[in-house]
Amino acid sequence: MAMVDEPLYPIAVLIDELKNEDIQLRLNSIRRLSTIARALGEERTRKELIPFLSENNDDEDEVLLAMAEELGVFIPYVGGVEHAHVLLPPLETLSTVEETCVRDKAVESLCRIGAQMKENDIVDFFIPVVKRLASGEWFTARVSSCGLFHIAYPSATDPLKTELRTIYGQLCQDDMPMVRRAAASNLGKFAATVEQSHLKTEIMSIFDDLTQDDQDSVRLLAVEGCAALGKLLEPQDCVAHILPVIVNFSQDKSWRVRYMVANQLYELCEAVGPEPTRADLVPAYVRLLRDNEAEVRIAAAGKVTKFCRILSPQLAIQHILPCVKELSSDSSQHVRSALASVIMGMAPVLGKDATIAELLPIFLSLLKDEFPDVRLNIISKLDQVNQVIGIDLLSQSLLPAIVELAEDRHWRVRLAIIEYIPLLASQLGVGFFDDKLGALCMQWLEDKVFSIREAAANNLKRLAEEFGPEWAMQHIIPQVLEKINNPHYLYRMTILQAISLLAPVMGADITCQKLLPVVINSSKDRVPNIKFNVAKVLQSLVPILDQSVVDKTVKPCLVELSEDPDVDVRYYANQALQACDQIMMSS
Amino acid sequence: MWKGFIGKLSGKAPKSVGGGGGGWGSPPSKSPTSYGANGGQWDPMRSSPPLPVVAGAEGDTREDVFLRKVTVCCVLFDFSTDRVGRDSPERERKRQVLMSLVDCVGAAEEPLTEAMVSACVGMFAINLFRVFPPKVRPGAGGAAEADEDDPFFDPSWYHLQVVYELLLRFVMSPVVDVKVARKYVDNSFISRLLDLLDSDDPRERDCLKTVLHRIYGKFMGNRPFIRKAVSNIIYRFVSEDDHHNGIAELLEVFGSVISGFAKPLKEEHKLFLCKALIPLHKPKAVGMYLPQLTYCITQFIDKEPKLSGTVIRGLLKYWPVTNSQKEMMFLGELEEVLELTEMPEFQKCMVPLFRRVAHCLNSSHFQVAERALYLWNNEHVFNLISRNHQVILPIIYPALERNARLHWNQSVLNVTMNVRKMFFDMDQKLLLACQKKFQEEEEKQAESEERRRLIWEHLERNAAFHQVTGDISFSVVTKSAPLVAPTMT
Repeated sequence: MAMVDEPLYPIAVLIDELKNEDIQLRLNSIRRLSTIARALGEERTRKELIPFLSENNDDEDEVLLAMAEELGVFIPYVGGVEHAHVLLPPLETLSTVEETCVRDKAVESLCRIGAQMKENDIVDFFIPVVKRLASGEWFTARVSSCGLFHIAYPSATDPLKTELRTIYGQLCQDDMPMVRRAAASNLGKFAATVEQSHLKTEIMSIFDDLTQDDQDSVRLLAVEGCAALGKLLEPQDCVAHILPVIVNFSQDKSWRVRYMVANQLYELCEAVGPEPTRADLVPAYVRLLRDNEAEVRIAAAGKVTKFCRILSPQLAIQHILPCVKELSSDSSQHVRSALASVIMGMAPVLGKDATIAELLPIFLSLLKDEFPDVRLNIISKLDQVNQVIGIDLLSQSLLPAIVELAEDRHWRVRLAIIEYIPLLASQLGVGFFDDKLGALCMQWLEDKVFSIREAAANNLKRLAEEFGPEWAMQHIIPQVLEKINNPHYLYRMTILQAISLLAPVMGADITCQKLLPVVINSSKDRVPNIKFNVAKVLQSLVPILDQSVVDKTVKPCLVELSEDPDVDVRYYANQALQACDQIMMSS
Repeated sequence: MWKGFIGKLSGKAPKSVGGGGGGWGSPPSKSPTSYGANGGQWDPMRSSPPLPVVAGAEGDTREDVFLRKVTVCCVLFDFSTDRVGRDSPERERKRQVLMSLVDCVGAAEEPLTEAMVSACVGMFAINLFRVFPPKVRPGAGGAAEADEDDPFFDPSWYHLQVVYELLLRFVMSPVVDVKVARKYVDNSFISRLLDLLDSDDPRERDCLKTVLHRIYGKFMGNRPFIRKAVSNIIYRFVSEDDHHNGIAELLEVFGSVISGFAKPLKEEHKLFLCKALIPLHKPKAVGMYLPQLTYCITQFIDKEPKLSGTVIRGLLKYWPVTNSQKEMMFLGELEEVLELTEMPEFQKCMVPLFRRVAHCLNSSHFQVAERALYLWNNEHVFNLISRNHQVILPIIYPALERNARLHWNQSVLNVTMNVRKMFFDMDQKLLLACQKKFQEEEEKQAESEERRRLIWEHLERNAAFHQVTGDISFSVVTKSAPLVAPTMT
């Protein structure tokens, strides 16, 4: 067309596209901003494109979001790091808009750019942006500024550093809770860049203020920062400043605060060291484990093993274990489930004797829990106990639990237990498996739910890998092949799938002698879905089989299928034939 | 005997809050009849069995008795663990005492003393300000999920209800002096009341609504604070994507607050409209409070018709993209706003507005398309459109034409034809011109798409000549975004 030869003004193209009524077109053009920039060259990008973008930011949020994202990786197009500062003005404007997603993305891009900028550029360009945003009239600007201090601070001069700390302190006392929340949630990041001497004084006083905020939501975010701050401080300072706060929080009237403490406590223990942990944090933790609110107990129960790991076994047995016993019969299934997901890990911590004496009864009772999640969580971590006390003590109770889960009415539960069968097999050994579990594995192949049948086929493959082809030849293959005569075509399809999964494990010989004939036979099935699956399976078998077998058996079958009345069968047969040819050519 | 009772109470109650009220020590010296005019409320016969409060109060001043009663009510009962039956005597007594306080405040003629006010407010705080329990997790069986929408009823409502009743009486009562009460019903008290609006219990939110309304009416000095606090709740709800149960109630209170604003509107109030109310259209739960929101917004336009342009542009900004249910609600609100819109304002925003309406007309959700077409049934809206048809018809003609050719729904088809007919009657020449233009553009569409493709291709080629400054991140960045096929408009 003629216009292609006309001179093209890349900015004009963009302006034109951004005027379009269709938002998808506008989005497309923003997504290709780098193309326009490259076509313009670095200098014109700096002088024309970026100023244009700075002025045109009243589009829909979706377009602005895309713009904020693109600008974050735009440094190469404006001439490298020394020119990076030209990108700041449009992003500064974007970090003041109303929509949170856009602001967050703009702040992310500002951080990304700031992290690459030279120190004096940060002082000349980046810090002024931070200061302007921090004193912004509307809260959105001030909220955004909180996320930039950790980039600005390390490059600042001493007087500027003082100023930045002061400004951050003011943000933490802002009139609007939105700003205080942003300041509280960014405090950890900012504190990590502040010198130790200021950390102890200014930052800690900021932190103290936040922990006493009259808004629950602000205090909550302050607790979240506890552990991060604690790790920055020297242990003795942490004990002096953070510990009292957290102990206090662990008795807060708001369950959300206590929940947060339960999640953070472990990390804080690491920060303060063993002695204060024993004296102050263990009692706090025990209180949380016995909290009135189930949510808090869930959070606390989930940390029980980690917590025990940093305590001496003796302390763990004395203080934590009694709570664990209570939790194992907690009224909330979610608490028991959280406990079950970690409790097996306590075995290595407590050692063999204590595990047998104290933990085993709990394991056994959880294995009989009325909720499948609880039982599943125990089974999933079996290997951890196996290392300590061996599986024999548990196997008596395991089997009924597994069988019951295998027949659970919720297919997701059945799926979960199938996923653990290979693990169980490796822990329990061939003997146990053959006696008890083999039949279950076959039963799943005929489940009502597709996902279960699919998982069952996959499970057979993993078992064959675990116990070797010879075992599989005896215990899997015959039973599987038998089922190819199932009257329902969906079940026959599962068998085909199982065959294609098992073949690589079993090797060429067995595949050729046992599996292939069954597949070939199925190509005569009356259901087209089976026939095209035969084509697919044959295609997957080709790499395993000898060339002669492919030529003699596979190809004729495929050729026949490629003339099938059904269009899908013909399609997949042709695909498979093509694959045969390709493999032949490459070998 | 009185002390003994309290002691017993505190001993049994799982959570007891120590009564700080004074006047325990004063020995009974006056006869019960010396209550004077207020004696009626204290009549022990009202509550049976007779309250120990009154029995022990023999001869005390009115203040002493009142304070004692308030102290009894500061004891909390744990309703969640139902070990003590609902009718346990202590619980029953607290309710009785609460009710007698309600009567007392309701019928009092003498003002309450400062000590009484202070004790009352303290008792409200102890009873009402609590942390809501976490949401109940659905059971593993999934059976509980069906109950998700059922409202939650606080088991302690048995007491709370009377406490709220008392609070309402207290706030409304002429015997409570605002100057005195202000010291106790302060910003922090109000802000905690506002926090309670997040309650899951609809009964509680309803009480709070009335109470807040009265507080706003009575405590003039706290008004700016209340407005600010409510804005903050809304900002958080909108921009931090938080959950809040009480937005509808808040807006209901504010509906009447707004209708009380003086004309011309202060800048602060307009800011509230633009920064809080209009963005409230964004959250996906907008259906929960849209009627109240619309009411607030129309109140604003009523006061200052020029604001309708701002509102319409706001609606367009937050117009739902995929949610048809929400889209219908927006169309409903749009119609209400348009009804109040005057010509100059309408003309300022009609172009983007009717681009949006054109989209709605073509919606494959027939109810959306229908709702948009019904705009023409509104007399005022029709008038606005017909007097600007030179601008509007060219914008929506393509949509009408597409509906006429392709829309699957018979009713949409019929109404579309009616609207078309209306325009035909209005300006036959223009309609035919639009028709011609549409056909021309249709023919050119493939061409213009091809043109766009070529332009970008050309740009890509140009771009390939320019090397960008050697940068490590270069290799990651050069990939150009895939071109998404332009959608038909």
